[in-house]
Parts: sequence; structure tokens; C-alpha cells
Amino acid sequence: MLVENRAGSERALALVIALEILIFAFTGPNFLSTGNAFEIVRLGVELGLLALALSPIIVTGGIDLSVGSMMGLCAVVFGFLWRDLHVPIVFAGLAALATGVAGGALNALLITRFGGAPLIVTLGTYSLFRGIAEGLTRGVENFSQFPPAFLYIGQGYLGGIIPAQALVFVVFAAFFWLLLHRSIYGRALRAIGFAAAGNGDARWAGIPVARRLALSYTLSGFTAAAASLIYVAHLGQARSDAGTGYELLAITAVVLGGASIAGGRGSIWGTLLGLTAIVVLQNGLRVSALPVELAGILTSAILVVTIAISQLRFTPAPEAEEDQMKNSQLAVLSAVIIAGSLIVAGSNWWLVRSIRPAPATGSAAAAPIRHTIAVMPKAKGDPYFVSTRLGAEAAAKELGQDLIWDGPADLDPARQNEVVEAWITRGVDTIAVAVINAPGISTVLRKARAKGIKVLTWDADAQPDARDFFVNQATPQGIGETLADEANRILGGSGDFAIITGALTAANQNEWIRYIKARIADKYPKLNLITIRPSDDDRNRAFSEAQTLMKVYPKMRLIMAISAPAVPGAAEAVKQSGRQDVKVTGLSLPNMCKPYVKAGIADSVVLWNTLDLGYLVVNASRQAADGTLKAGATSMDGGRLGTIGVEGSQVVLGKPLVFTKENIDKFDF
Amino acid sequence: MKQRATAIAIFWALLLTTMALRAPSFFEFGNLRDIAVTNASALIVATGMTLVIIAGEIDVSVGSQFAVASVIAGTLVKAGLPLPLTALITLFAGACFGALNGFLVTTLGVPSIVATLAAMAFWRELLRWITQGAWVQGLPASFQWMGLSQAHGELAILAASAALFGAFAWAMRHLHCGRAVYAVGSNRESARLAGLPVPLITFSVFTLMGALTAVAAVLDSVRFSQVQSSAGAGLELKAISAVVIGGTAITGGTGGLWGTLLGASVLAVIAPALTFLGINAFWEKAIQGGIILGAIVLERVSKRGGRRAR
Amino acid sequence: MRALKSVSFDLQAGEVHALVGENGAGKSTLIKVLTGAVQADAGTILLDGETITGNSPQHSRSLGIAAVYQQPAIFPHLTVAENIALVNEPGRAAARVDWKTRLNTARELLKAVGAEIDPSREAGTLSMPEQQLVEIAKALGANVRVLILDEPTASLTEVETERLLGIVARLRGQGAGIIYISHRLDELSRIADRITVLRDGESVATRAAAETTSKQLISLMVGREMASVFPKRSVALGAPVLKVDRLVCGSADLQSATFEVRAGEILGIAGLVGSGRTQLAETLFGITPPDSGSVSVNGTAIYIKNPQQAIEAGLAYVPEDRRRHGIVGDLPVRANTTLAILDKLGNTTLLDQAAERTLASDWVTRLGIKTDGIDAPANSLSGGNQQKVAIARWLATNPKVLILDEPTQGIDVGAKAECHRIMCDLAERGLAIVMISSELAEVLGMSDRIAVMRKGEMVATIDRADATPDLILSHALGHGGPA
Repeated sequence: MLVENRAGSERALALVIALEILIFAFTGPNFLSTGNAFEIVRLGVELGLLALALSPIIVTGGIDLSVGSMMGLCAVVFGFLWRDLHVPIVFAGLAALATGVAGGALNALLITRFGGAPLIVTLGTYSLFRGIAEGLTRGVENFSQFPPAFLYIGQGYLGGIIPAQALVFVVFAAFFWLLLHRSIYGRALRAIGFAAAGNGDARWAGIPVARRLALSYTLSGFTAAAASLIYVAHLGQARSDAGTGYELLAITAVVLGGASIAGGRGSIWGTLLGLTAIVVLQNGLRVSALPVELAGILTSAILVVTIAISQLRFTPAPEAEEDQMKNSQLAVLSAVIIAGSLIVAGSNWWLVRSIRPAPATGSAAAAPIRHTIAVMPKAKGDPYFVSTRLGAEAAAKELGQDLIWDGPADLDPARQNEVVEAWITRGVDTIAVAVINAPGISTVLRKARAKGIKVLTWDADAQPDARDFFVNQATPQGIGETLADEANRILGGSGDFAIITGALTAANQNEWIRYIKARIADKYPKLNLITIRPSDDDRNRAFSEAQTLMKVYPKMRLIMAISAPAVPGAAEAVKQSGRQDVKVTGLSLPNMCKPYVKAGIADSVVLWNTLDLGYLVVNASRQAADGTLKAGATSMDGGRLGTIGVEGSQVVLGKPLVFTKENIDKFDF
Repeated sequence: MKQRATAIAIFWALLLTTMALRAPSFFEFGNLRDIAVTNASALIVATGMTLVIIAGEIDVSVGSQFAVASVIAGTLVKAGLPLPLTALITLFAGACFGALNGFLVTTLGVPSIVATLAAMAFWRELLRWITQGAWVQGLPASFQWMGLSQAHGELAILAASAALFGAFAWAMRHLHCGRAVYAVGSNRESARLAGLPVPLITFSVFTLMGALTAVAAVLDSVRFSQVQSSAGAGLELKAISAVVIGGTAITGGTGGLWGTLLGASVLAVIAPALTFLGINAFWEKAIQGGIILGAIVLERVSKRGGRRAR
Repeated sequence: MRALKSVSFDLQAGEVHALVGENGAGKSTLIKVLTGAVQADAGTILLDGETITGNSPQHSRSLGIAAVYQQPAIFPHLTVAENIALVNEPGRAAARVDWKTRLNTARELLKAVGAEIDPSREAGTLSMPEQQLVEIAKALGANVRVLILDEPTASLTEVETERLLGIVARLRGQGAGIIYISHRLDELSRIADRITVLRDGESVATRAAAETTSKQLISLMVGREMASVFPKRSVALGAPVLKVDRLVCGSADLQSATFEVRAGEILGIAGLVGSGRTQLAETLFGITPPDSGSVSVNGTAIYIKNPQQAIEAGLAYVPEDRRRHGIVGDLPVRANTTLAILDKLGNTTLLDQAAERTLASDWVTRLGIKTDGIDAPANSLSGGNQQKVAIARWLATNPKVLILDEPTQGIDVGAKAECHRIMCDLAERGLAIVMISSELAEVLGMSDRIAVMRKGEMVATIDRADATPDLILSHALGHGGPA
């Protein structure tokens, strides 16, 4: 029975994977290369470890939502012990694993002793673990500078081609396979799951249910800790936001692999196939330069279809002939996959068309060589980067270049590495990255340079030897100081103000805050920063925070919001409160803030010209690619921006703009 | 349920005493009103979530649905449609999203957590793809507060949420259809044998969830003059937490909306209370998780105590 | 696979028509077809001469067909009153609930079935027979024209059964047609007007009940003559194996139990349902660990906190609820057989699959388990064979004491006889057996001694020679009698 079950969903999945590979072999340059195959493996390791850990748990009919947060907690514990307490790195690693075991044991305790439902218990620890990690680091700490021997686990290649972490993964996969399929524990877990699915209880079979469940949750904590160590080694830094959102993808992989969420059914092979389907899809879309949003859309479609099919299969349907069933299933499956690939193909065609603009005006000039310029924002959804993209697209059109614009949906440093890897595989001409995490991405950027790709950074820099040029629109110092100066101007030299930031863990905001504090301590001693509140880059959250701040600190005269959505949020709160004495300033886009700037609520908004920034990034990338912009240059032709100065390896766009009532109408982005 | 009520009562007593001693201004009318207005939409979503969980299902896609509904409402108003018509269309769209979940769960037999997990990713990614993160801006002035004054607008939002909540709380207790939801969650097979239209009930509950999410999205959007496309992030966890803290068992068949009101209010006051108390925001997530775990432990402990007393 | 091939039978107003047949003969499926829970492939159902089309549970209910299923179909989180009302009140979705009427109706219906149950209690807190009574009350509320009772007495004690038979007789008097399914043939002769025998999904014969003997029925059911009903053999008893002294478990409402079982002995435990028999077994087995009292096996005192320790001490427990606790239906027969001895197969960590297969095949042969092989899922077997798998699992632990809780409940006559034979074999080989049963005939027929429980307390122990139904009942009911 176990064997039959496996065959069904796994065959369907294998078909999906084969189709994915077939499609991407056509759409993605170098998709079918050994190097890329190993990259796919590397991409899948952290996620795969979590999926492995979840497999036995889902087989028992349980769930563990806390694995992603556990990664964050273990990373922070590891970094803290190593850097601040100077614990040898091996022992720091062991302590991180012990933290994982302890966290898993806490889940187990609450589930087996206190009778909590796994979904609820791990929902609680999902918040708790992440919260402790954030609390310990105050969100700011970023442990890095780990020794190369440790980083090798996440960045090195065995024999030059096999990613080192693949070895760790194989060991874990073998272990979990033995556990689930060949050991008495696995049999017990399965019995627990099947019994639970039938409203029964395996205790009556003499199975130590509590102990076996405890084992699976504790193992899950341990494996999440191992995943976090690899994640840290992979990115070169330990932060409290490690593994954010991984739990849902891991669950998707397990369920896609044929595990029943009710318990009993599930296999390690299935999990590995589910994982492969997800990771290949993500990598394939990136290498094909297709919108990565498709990954989520297609994964959910495949998930629903495969589950629906296996569901139909297991529901006894006495009249239905076995063959008919299979045919109809196959029909549905093929239909969905064909639909999916049509979307892929269609959008590919659309994309190709959209990035191939009409010939540049003034055809007297020799047709420029078309370069593929890949540009990555910190977060695709951030309005600030959305408007930068418009500038970049305008430049690509004007200069006749092919632009690939891709990056993480949220601020996720691991995703940035994945995208760069995909671009290297694809073989682009230049890569320009707005760096989230300098030590994390520098290794892969060096690899790109070694392959002859010109590398630029913008918005935030990587390590200097990892890139050719840095398009410097405004340094964190410049932004911080401008904001502090604005605060001083608005408050007239003295007064209380509060900061509303993005996420507490957001690195760039934290750096700005550092410079704001330094500037105030240095030049404006009468300004008083009373508190810093998070908005999670959510307008509504910023609104509530501002509301509360005004009540708690009646003497506060200024709210400085330093995340694009937070400025309109805070300004709206001030507007609704009717307080004339509180002003808002911050860092945001002019269009979002126009109504508030005009109404005099937001006194000023600081930002450089994002359209110009995007334009300049693409322009500099092209010139780096065709050799016009060489090391040692002191200026470059900025196209419509005129001549742009180059200082060392930094292309300088200029000072941030301060938008006020007077000038804001001149900007439209 | 009773144990959970005790647990929440203890928590409330602690919180209120602390606030009264340390930050009495917390209880000012203006603050309470602001907290209520801000969380009205979350309560509506939690109301729908209570129904879903009582029916023995779960919906983790509400955050994404909320975002899509917000953008739909904003786009329609921007296109020149009057607000009432926009609200109706959005409501219908939300019901359709919910119905899709219902279809996956009832007709295709996909477990609800899997179906809505897929829907969660699907809607969020689709929205990202289409909007690329851009907000809906330049809405007519009559959008904010539905063309009313701010005070009246706030009142309208509160009244609408209270009315919706009250209607559902009453219906779940006193109407046949409400009791049928309990029956389905309590024992699906018995419900079928008793002649209850189980698939229809499950389907309806998901559809209602979608419709309520759309209502919440509209009521939330009209508090502002722009619509952000990333709205509702984490809303599903907030709603589920509110329901669970309120004593509704995740296994279905038991619990109720008044508990959810308690749970939602606990979650609503945490962030402002921390600010009032001057506690560092970095510990907020840990405190939220601690409250959920505390509720589990307290419930168990009081159950044991109850048994011993007997 | 077809559960029903071709069944024809008729039911008249004011008649009790019994359906009998071995497990798997198609009785339960027939009921489901009648109530619309399952759709028939072919054939017609006529009610008062009109064909029922598009049958569904709602539809059949509106026609006045009500069924009491073998497994109580209650809503555990809802009150008894609501359980009764949900089925009987017309289903307009927007209609308002009248809580007062609900309570009153429920109270009256419960009174009619003679159950002293508070209608505002949560149904999940009721015992199994109480739930069964609520089910019957539910069925009565629907103004029934056709009442279907599927094994209604399976979990009821003799007293409750008597009361139920009274209700059936009264309904018959009021002109309802009643379909009555039971494995207890003695009941049928008392209550049924006609009896239809099903075999392999077909109706084999319909006889007037008054003219049919149990023996004839059995031969019709199995297609051959049966030997004596209880194959009890006399065995020379050995030394006491299990000694239990004043065992108490408050959380399971077990007040006090004292008894001993000797090697080769079958100790029957009788008592009303809810008298603490299953609770005694579960306490012994460590599922609800005891508060006080002592237990010893072969003279060694043991302290049992969980089932693993019980197994270690040589106890084995075949539980009452086969589907939820007895077997794991989705696991293959092989895995079910070895579930209790996983750590003794192979090297305590990895599973020795060859040893498992050998062991499972061995038990399948020894107990005569009819299965498509040891890899077939256990729930593909018939009830009797599932029960044998459950027994095999525990015999595989090589126990010193075997506790059987309702070992033959809901299984057909043939399988029942085989179970009894197996018990005798085991006793002969020196195993001490504790058998809990609600069926007096079984207790009397199989036991060497009979212990009677009442309200969580073991009130009497009677030797086989002295045991009579009256004596056991008087102890079980608390009417005194010689101690």
C-alpha cells in the first residue's frame, strides 16, 4: 500500500519536473549545465533541510510552523557566542544546534504534555523564536567576518564543482530516509499519523506516542539549527531574519511530495521530488529572466492539482473504472501544465518584445552593441525601487540595451545570491546590485567578475573588491545627516522627535539611524530622539504607531519616518489627529507624499531622484560593459544627466533631494 | 472554552492594572477609539476566520485576499465608479475568492490548509506581478471616509464592524445555519448522516470568509487617501491567533465569536500598550508568541485544577 | 468491489423485519442505500408504492425514514438537546432556533427511551450506551414511518436492551415499519415478525420469525450447519499469574478492583456498560495510570505508568474500539501485527523487514486470517479478520496475560466461533485471559470464573458452576444477592 501510494503522486511530480526542465532548457541559456545543476542543489539545501525535518512531523499528522523562525534564533545565538563571547566557532556551532534541540523540545513539551494543537503551539513559537532573536540583537546586530573555514560549508566547492553544503544535505536526507522508512521510529510515526487520521490513538498499540512525537519535533529543531548554520555560512552573516518565510515553502515541498496533511502518508523521496520541483522552477524562471512571481503562481497551481488528484485517487469511488480515473487525472494534470507553460512561453514572448525597443532615435549614430544588463533592487515591491525601475527602463530603451530587472520580493539577502547565481549561469554582460548584505553577496559577485561579467553596485555597496563600480547616489552617511539636518530645521534647534523605521531588522534603515544619532550627538545636542518604532514597511502599521506615539509623547513635535510607506502613514495619522504642532519628515517618494507635503503636514521629504538613479545605473552598466567606463576614469557621460563625476571607483549621482511644498510638483515618481 | 476565558480574564486583569498604574492615559477615549478603528477590519476578518475554524477548516489566504480586494476597490474608484458600487463589486470579488477556496476544499477534496496555502501564494504573487508594488494613488477626495467627515467616517466604520460582528455572533447562536456550522465542525460524518448539506455549508463558510475579507479591505482602505498594494501582510496569522486565543478549538465544533472579540482585543492592545509602557519594540513578537503559548499552558493547568477539585 | 449484488425485500407497516447475515453480507450497505447515504447502482426503492428517486439523507428523512447506525453519529461538542434537534427540526437555514422547545422536546424523547440524561449536557461527555440511547431518541423524534436499527444493542447491557425492545414493540403498535439488524439471534426471535437473511450481498431467504430456529438461521447465514456455540474446553488451572489488589484510578472513575487470574484460566468480566470494565482494562494497561492499588504478575509487583511498561510486564490488551484503537486500518496487516513489538524486531533501531514478514505470515497462518496477503491494508479485511489481526498483534508480544475487551462485538457468527476457539487454544497453552463482554451468554459460556462490576467497583466473583444469568444481573444492577 505504501508503495502504491508513492508511485501515484511521485510519478505525477516526476512528470512536472521533466516538463519544467524541458521548457527551461529552451528558455534559459545554460540552464542545462553541470554548474547550474549544482547551483540548484545549493539553492535547495536550507529549504530542503527544513522540508526533511517537516516530513516525519507531517507523517504524524502534525505541523511545525516554527522552523523558519528557529533558523533566525539559532543564527543569532551562533553569531553572538562567536563574536561577542569569543566562543570557539565549533562550540558556537554546537550551542546553536543545542538551541535548536531546546526549541524543538519546547514545541514537543507543549504538544505532548500540555495538549496543545501543533498548529497553534508552533504558531506561538513561530512568533516567540523570531521575537527572541530580534530582542537579543535589537534587530541591528549583524554578525559577520566569520573565518573562511566556516564559510566554506556554505560557499565552497568540493573538488571545484560540488557545493560543500550538498554533502551535509545528503547526510541529512539519508538519515531521514532511514528514520522514516527503515527504522522502528518511522513505523511508529506512521502508525501515529494513520491512527490520528482515523480519529484513533496509537497509544493502544503500545506505541510511546508522546516520546515519538517529541523525537520528531526535537529533530526538527535540530535540523532547523543545522540549516541556519549553513545559511549563515552561505551568506557570511548571522541575522535575526534568517529563514523568514521558509516554513511555508518547506511545507509546500512536503505536501507536494504526496504527504497527507491529515497524517500517515508521506515519504522522503516524495519530499525530495517536491523540493526539486520548487527549486528547479525558481531557478529556471531566473535563468530564463522570467518574472519570478510566476514561481509562486505556478507552484500553487501544481500543488492544488497534484493534491486534488491524489485526493480523488484515495477517495473510494466504487463505480469509477480504474483506467478512466487515470485518464482523467492525466488529462487534468496535462491541461494545467500546458496552461502553465503557455503562461511561461507567453510572458517570455511578451518580455522579449517589451525589452526590445524601437531602434534608438537619431539613427545616424552607429547602432550600439546590445548588452544584457541585469539590475537587482533590494526589494522588488518597495515603491522606491519600483520608481527606480522606471528610470532604468527608460535608459535601456534610450540606449538600446536589454534590461533584466529581478530581485527578492522582500528584503531577503539569500534571494539576492540566488538571483546573481542565475544571472551568472545565464551569462549576462553586467550585473548591478543594490546590496542588502555586503559580506553575503560579495563572494558570488567575485565569482561573476571572475567569469568576465562587469559588476556594479548601487544604492548600497558590496565589499570594494567584489565590484567594478559603485553608483553612489547618496551614502548612508549623507542620508542620515540630511535627515538630521532637516529635523533640526523643522524643530528649530530643539525638541523631541521619534523615528518610525521599516522592519526592525532592515539593515539600511539601521545604518541611517546610526548616522542620524551620530549627527545629533555631534551637532544638535538639544534634539531628543525619544523612541524608534517599527512599521514593517506597512503604511497602516506606521499609521497606528504614529497615532500611539502622539498620545504617549505629547511633547513630541516631529515624526521621522524612514521607510517609503511609513511617511504617508505617519502623515495621515497626524492629519487625522488634527494636531498642527506635529510635523512629519522622512525618506519617501514624492508622489506618495504630495498631498501631505502640500497640506503642510509633512514638512519635507528626503530622497534622491530615483528616476535618475535607475537611469544612471543602466547607463554606467552599459559603459562598463563596452569599456567606455574604465577604472581610473574621473568622469563619465551621463546622457541626459550630463557629465557625472567618478571618484575612484564610485560614480557619484549627487546629494539627496529635499522635496518641499515649493518643488514637489516638479517630480513625478 | 471556560478555561480559556479564565486565562484571558487573568491576562486582561494584569494588563489593565499595569496600564492603570503606569500609563493611565491609555484609557483616554481618543486612544481607545483609535485602537478600535484601526483594528475594526482585523475583527471582521477574525469573525470570518472563527466561522471557518468552527467548521473544522482553516484559511491562511485571507491576507492575500485582503490585498487583492484593497487594490480592486482602489482601482475601481480611480476608474470613476461610485464608492457604493465599488464596495459591492469588491464584495462580490471577495466572495469569489472565498468560493474558489471552498471549491478546492469541497469539490476537489484538497485539505483546507493546503488549498489556502496555495491560494495565499497565488494571490499575493499575482498581485505583485501585476502591480509591481505600485500603490493606487490619486483617488478622488470622496474616497477617504466615504465622503463623510473624519469623525462620521470613523463612526461609520465602527458601526459597520460592530453590526457585522453582532449579526454573526447572533446568527451563530440563534439561527439554524449557524448551528449547522458547529455541527459540521463537530462531526462531519454525523452531519452528513443527519442530512445536513455538508459541502454546501463548508463552501458557504469559505465564501463568507472571502466576502468578509473584502468588506474589511474596503473599510480599511477608506481610512486613507491611497491604497497600498502590500496590504494585509500577516493578517492571516493575526486573525487565526485572535480566534485561537479566544478559545475556539482548531479542531472545530466549539468556541464562538465572543471569544474571538476578546482574542482580537488582546492582540489589538499589545502594540500600543507596549509603546505606552515604554517597552522596546524589539520584544513585541516574542510577547505575542508568549501570549499564545501562555494561553495553551494556562488552559491545561486550569483543566487539571478543575479535575482535581472534582 | 460490490457490497450489494441483488437484494429484494419488503417491509409492512406495523412490522418488525429483521435482517441477519454475516459481516460483509451487505446489511450496513443496504441501510445506507435506504437512507440515501450511498447511491444504489440499480434497482428501485418504493415507499407506499411510490419510487424514491434522487435519494439523499435529507430526502429520506423528509419521507420519514430514520436510522440508528451501529456507530453513534453524534456531535460531541453540542448538547444532547441540540443533537436531537439538528436532525429533526426542519432545515430552513435562516430559521431561528427555539432553545426552549428544543430542550423540552429532547427531554420528552429521552424520557420515552427511558434514558436519564440531562438534555443540556455536552454529548461528547456521554458514555457509549448513553450516546446510543440519544441516537434512538433522535430517530423517534422524526415521526418515523420506517425506523432502521443497525446493531442497536451492540453496546447496550441486558437491561437497556430490554427497554429498547419495549420501545420497538410500542412503535410497531403505532404502525411504524421497523428494520432491525442484530447479531444476537435470541433477540430476534422475541422481537421480529419476519427475518430476511443476507449472504454475500444477496437476500437468501425471508422467513416468519416464529417458525425459524437460531440453528436454521445460522446455517442460512453461513451456508452450512454450525457446531456447538461455545467451544469451552476444561483446562487444568496453573498458578495465579495476575494479581490485582484494590486498584483505583480517579480520572477514569475506577473505584476499586481486586481479582486474580490463573494460568489457563478465562476470567469473564461482566457488568453494565459504564460500570468501569473498560476503565479497569485501560488502567491495568497504563493508558490511564492508577492512583493506588497493587498489581503483580507472576508474583512480581509491577508499577504501570504507560502501555510500554504494561507490555514489558507481560500484559496485552485487545481494546474495545477496533477501528480506532485495535488496528491501524491504513497500515498493512504485516505492520499491524508487529506494531507492539517494533523494538524487538531487529536491532531496536532499524526494522528487520525479513523478520517482520516471517512473523506476520506466521500469525496469518496460525490464526487463519483471511487476507489478500500480508501487505494488504488492514481495513480491507472483514471485521472478524480485523479482530484476529488485533489479537495477533498482542499474541506476538508473547504475553502472560491477555485482556480482551468485547472480543466478538459486531463480528459475525462464524468469526465469533473462531475467536472463541482461539481463546480456548490460548488458555490451554497456559495463558491467563481476562475477557470483558456485554453478552451474558458469551460470559457464561466462555469463563471459568466471572467477576461483576458495578459503578466502577468490582462487586462479586462467581465460579462457572454457580453462575446464572440472574445472579450476574442482580450483582450488576445492585439488587444484592449472595456475595
